[in-house]
Amino acid sequence: MPLLKTLDPLKWVGKKAQQPLFFQFSQRLFLLGFLSLWLTNARAAIDFSREILPLLSDRCFACHGPDEKARKAGLRLDQPEGALGKGKSGEVAVIPKQAARSELFRRLISTDPDEVMPPPKSNHPLSAQQVALIRQWIEEGAIWGKHWAYVLPQRPRVPPVASQGSSEGRNPIDAFIQARLTQEGLSPSPEATRATLVRRVTLDLTGLPPTPSEVASFLEDPAAHAFERLVDRLLASRRYGERMAWDWLEAARYADSNGYQGDSDRTMWPWRDWVVEAFNENMPFDQFTVWQIAGDRLPAATQNQRIATGFLRNHMINGEGGRIAEENRIDYLFDQTETVATVWLGATFNCTRCHDHKFDPHTQRDYFRLLAFFDQTIVDGGGGNPQSPPNLLVPSLDQAEKLKRLTSDLELASEVTAHFEGAKFVRAKGKSADESPSTQDLPKEIREPLKAFPRDRSVAGIEKLMAHWKESDPGYFKVLDSLRDRRRGRDSLEQSIPKVMVMDDMKTPRTTRMLERGSYLKLGPAVSVGLPSAIASGVPLTQSNRLDLARWLVSPENPLTARVSVNRLWQGLFGVGLVKTSEDFGVQGEKPSHPDLLDWLAVDFVASGWDVKRLMRLMVTSATYRQSSRIAATLLERDPENRLLARGPRYRMPSWMIRDVTLAAAGLLTERVGGVAVRTYQPSGVWEEATFGNKRYEQDHGDSLYRRSLYIFWRRILGPTLFFDVASRQSCTVRTPRTNVPLHALLTLNDTGFVEASRVLAEHALEGVDLAEATRVDRVFKAVLGRNASSEERSVLLRGLAGHRVRFAANLKAADALLGVGERAVMAEVNPVELAAWTVVCSTVLNLDEALSKE
Amino acid sequence: MDPRIEHRLRLTRRTFLGRTGTGLGMAALAGLVGHPPLIGAPAAETGQGSLRGRPHQIPKAKRVIYLFQNGAPTHVDLFDYKPKLQALHGKPLPAEYVGGRRFSTMTGKTDGKLLLAPVEPFHQRGQSGAWVSQFLPYIARQADDLCFVKSLHTDSVNHAPGISLMLSGAEIPGRPTLGAWLTYGLGGDTENLPAFVVMTSVSKGTSCGQIFYDFYWGSGFLPSRYQGVKFRGSGEPVLYLSNPAGIDPATRRAQLDDLAELNALKFREQGDPETAARIAQYEMAFRMQTSVPELADISSEPKSVLDLYGPSVKEQGTFAYNCLMARRLIERGVRCVQVMHAGWDQHNSLTTELYTQCRDTDQPSAGLVADLKQRGLLEDTLVIWGGEFGRTPFIQGSLDDRKRWGRDHHPYAFTSWMAGGGVKAGLSYGETDDLGMNAVKDPVHVHDLQATLLHLMGIDHQQLTYRFQGRDFRLTDVHGKVVEGILG
Repeated sequence: MPLLKTLDPLKWVGKKAQQPLFFQFSQRLFLLGFLSLWLTNARAAIDFSREILPLLSDRCFACHGPDEKARKAGLRLDQPEGALGKGKSGEVAVIPKQAARSELFRRLISTDPDEVMPPPKSNHPLSAQQVALIRQWIEEGAIWGKHWAYVLPQRPRVPPVASQGSSEGRNPIDAFIQARLTQEGLSPSPEATRATLVRRVTLDLTGLPPTPSEVASFLEDPAAHAFERLVDRLLASRRYGERMAWDWLEAARYADSNGYQGDSDRTMWPWRDWVVEAFNENMPFDQFTVWQIAGDRLPAATQNQRIATGFLRNHMINGEGGRIAEENRIDYLFDQTETVATVWLGATFNCTRCHDHKFDPHTQRDYFRLLAFFDQTIVDGGGGNPQSPPNLLVPSLDQAEKLKRLTSDLELASEVTAHFEGAKFVRAKGKSADESPSTQDLPKEIREPLKAFPRDRSVAGIEKLMAHWKESDPGYFKVLDSLRDRRRGRDSLEQSIPKVMVMDDMKTPRTTRMLERGSYLKLGPAVSVGLPSAIASGVPLTQSNRLDLARWLVSPENPLTARVSVNRLWQGLFGVGLVKTSEDFGVQGEKPSHPDLLDWLAVDFVASGWDVKRLMRLMVTSATYRQSSRIAATLLERDPENRLLARGPRYRMPSWMIRDVTLAAAGLLTERVGGVAVRTYQPSGVWEEATFGNKRYEQDHGDSLYRRSLYIFWRRILGPTLFFDVASRQSCTVRTPRTNVPLHALLTLNDTGFVEASRVLAEHALEGVDLAEATRVDRVFKAVLGRNASSEERSVLLRGLAGHRVRFAANLKAADALLGVGERAVMAEVNPVELAAWTVVCSTVLNLDEALSKE
Repeated sequence: MDPRIEHRLRLTRRTFLGRTGTGLGMAALAGLVGHPPLIGAPAAETGQGSLRGRPHQIPKAKRVIYLFQNGAPTHVDLFDYKPKLQALHGKPLPAEYVGGRRFSTMTGKTDGKLLLAPVEPFHQRGQSGAWVSQFLPYIARQADDLCFVKSLHTDSVNHAPGISLMLSGAEIPGRPTLGAWLTYGLGGDTENLPAFVVMTSVSKGTSCGQIFYDFYWGSGFLPSRYQGVKFRGSGEPVLYLSNPAGIDPATRRAQLDDLAELNALKFREQGDPETAARIAQYEMAFRMQTSVPELADISSEPKSVLDLYGPSVKEQGTFAYNCLMARRLIERGVRCVQVMHAGWDQHNSLTTELYTQCRDTDQPSAGLVADLKQRGLLEDTLVIWGGEFGRTPFIQGSLDDRKRWGRDHHPYAFTSWMAGGGVKAGLSYGETDDLGMNAVKDPVHVHDLQATLLHLMGIDHQQLTYRFQGRDFRLTDVHGKVVEGILG
């Protein structure tokens, strides 16, 4: 490609595009010839899957692709048989080595509007360069291949890299990156400063900033491997799991309520805590996968293995009246199928819900065979129960003990009652009390509760009996009273114990039917479980249940899972994946920027035993990651998105991380892992307005206000107001946007939590006597940015401070009002004017671009 | 010379400029509607903004106000007058009108369903003679300014999917909505307010209000800056708009000056254009802090204007207030205002809540049209009034129990009206059969309506596309035909 850069003939075409048409046309003809000559002579053989297939897919497959129903003229170009064989017209689309005689090529260059392909009305013509590529490919023998992502990755050779001073490659990642940079005539950036590095890597691995003392100890560590040591320490921190869990929760569409009308609250948080724990324990990703897809199918499944399957049950639940249970059930299956396809296979399976895929070789049958794996659950789709079965009671240790005690209390009371009733309602052995001759004349609603053994009666049922015998049999009444109390005690405990919706299969298998156009009303042919045919042909199923699916997802024969997973983790560190469309590894997805690196990482990941921490360590200790993120103007123009990685990553942090960083910098953060979701500050009336008053927001108080964002209650229909650019948690999301709108600025400037954090940070700045103001500014900078302020920065802030001080001194009420924002008590014996002025300074620092960014 | 070649060359150039951007369609569209093209804007996705074979369309409307009536207003009681329905009141629905059509689970089978006459009488109105029910006296008075589309039909029989289809072109959530597409294509005419604003309301005492899901104004796979900004019905219109207690405008200004200066230092050192964008972002936030309260301050509106919108116009969170805000927003350069009012779901309240519903929306809707007209704004502002489907000509409930009369969901025919921005005034377009069951003459599908709205805004609905998951998506999916008959 360097030749292309030097000659740049194509750019030249672009520049001339404004010239008269006639001129352009002749240029184009000339160029076409020139290019094909030049390309055939100068460049290496065409790589079908990377260069030709995307073209065919983009311009031809809509009418000549996998979707049989949409196929025109019986021509199919996604398979060699179709392209190389005779078409309906008798013409052969592609004749190897004879471009001029190939109908496909003839149609591409035809000037007849009725003949030319793609048809003018598709608005998708090919460029001269693209036509030349196709010509070269045919001339080279029209060698076919599979889409790159469906071919098993082989460990590529690591390119040799000459040692070049400071840009010396540290690990194989750098060799791949540098090889490409050399090709492009670019060189890597020098390593970032140590202060920048410690903040960058701490944010990336823990989602929190380094404390000033952590920064200091890293800066002072003379060891050659100080950075690696730092990374190991961060990976071992329990904050790591909390940081990693966020992205997984977005993919898993985790929320604390059902969504839709009603939007009942659920208790799936033990699943969320399991995810945090799994990352912290560095559970191998293959195991992490198997547990979540099929933990319940493992022999003697443990509690945790079953909780893990909550992943599949995190979908929305529709409790709207008038909805048909089956309609809901099918919706949930769609969601499960598509979520799994996106997260593990990077496949846009949603396209195949109604028809064969337009571009990728997935069929509607594949879709329903995959769906069939999930179709075996007991879930019936009816109602809006946010803990609908199958579910699992997940008590804490405390609760488990109490539950055991209360259960045995209930058992005792039940036996006493049974004994009493044995005498009172005499009957044959094996008969229930309601079958006793002595109960035959009782009203129906009194006999009803007697059908059940005492321990199984409801509180309401017991109370009916009590009311009936209150006067006539005080002894029985007393026995019942005790039973009722035990029942109630156990019930209320049980209600306080979270119930996680999990997976479990029915004993008698359900027959899965294909659905015409995805409608639950239009039943098609029956299908059995099966793996996507295009990527898993010939893989045997041993159990024909989810365990087969799970094991195949992480088997060595699966070309996608490792690539897709590695890419997502890369995206989390570098801002963009090696495949930018991390949700789509199909033919229409973006090609990888560094295909060999992606494959190398994928193969290495599997070979390491799917060791996630090892992979994270590999990436963050690379020279590529450690580069300075300073951008030279020329480089910005060459590579605005930093896809070539000639510089380190720099971008605005996710909004949830901004909040966590702010709380941590202020020293407000409550570090407590797991548990019930919390409700922090939120403007009043938001839930109420969205739900016509059905959901009231009751804010927590005390430490809960300062828990990490991960633990904030997620009402599915609107989400917390204090996050932006996050997944809606309504369906699977593996890539979130990064935008820049004024509303974000209003949030970090004006939200109660951010203002309170500014004030608490200001209190730290004011601690100690007889300190220079400049020193205090540095203290704030260190807490937020991990570095001292420059003299210029200091003078801006101190000038600002002086102005704020004057204004607050003139308006004491304003100072008091500002200090009153938030519930954390204000430090004792402080000059309110001073603290208010410093609060504004701290808010300024917390809103700096650098404070909001990972740099 | 062959225009195809010109086009190919243009595409070629784009391809080389890179396929990275998302704003390409924006730049191309900006060119289309006569704005200066954005120099240096990222290139378009393939196929986007290509205008081959089409003259540049001059937009008839520059902005849209969508008065969305959630819950599905009953067309047979409000606009679609059917004497035969009156005549057959209480008689079973003849089978030939059904033809195997599916109804909601609440109706189930249509066998033996009894027809229900309109609750209130109809009259012909104005010069145009449009039929409007007595339920809506104010809209009736405005009839000569309106264009009634009486032959709408849709695919969905449930609210959320129906509303989603109407606003985003797809029943399932997650596609960009009309307002998002418009702002993606055209941007806004103001830097002080968002380009796409949404307001919601519900009549007091409504028993069956449908939740306003945020995907009704979502940007789907378009960048999220195009999503609607919801102005709230109580308290601050925009979340986090006000300065915290104790921070006065002078302090905030001083703070932002410091922030800008520090960010500028950073930009010089680091060179990241994001940092420059950050400065602009904070400045615009500051402007919004001034412009939104100014927007919401209606003290300068004369009584004669306020009276147009009816008695609850001063009460934040009402439909009337939102209609007035809609006018004030578009006056200030906002591209698309979506005013949503819930509660039109009269399953058992045709003789009760329907009156409230009409009282709360009739005068403000008509008042908005009148107000726009008297200001000369109606010419290039498009107003749309309508819901997600219609209601059954047959009864839900019992004929004997008049207090609980209702009608079920009905996707096969319903009425919306439009005004201003290039639509024919005083027109009733399309017809249903003589019971209001099915659209029979000039049927207009939801996607046709959407194609028409875009057309009026100067956009070819087939050319405003965005590439996602390898496919070029558009508001009208793969459907949609401009309804030429209603163009002025």
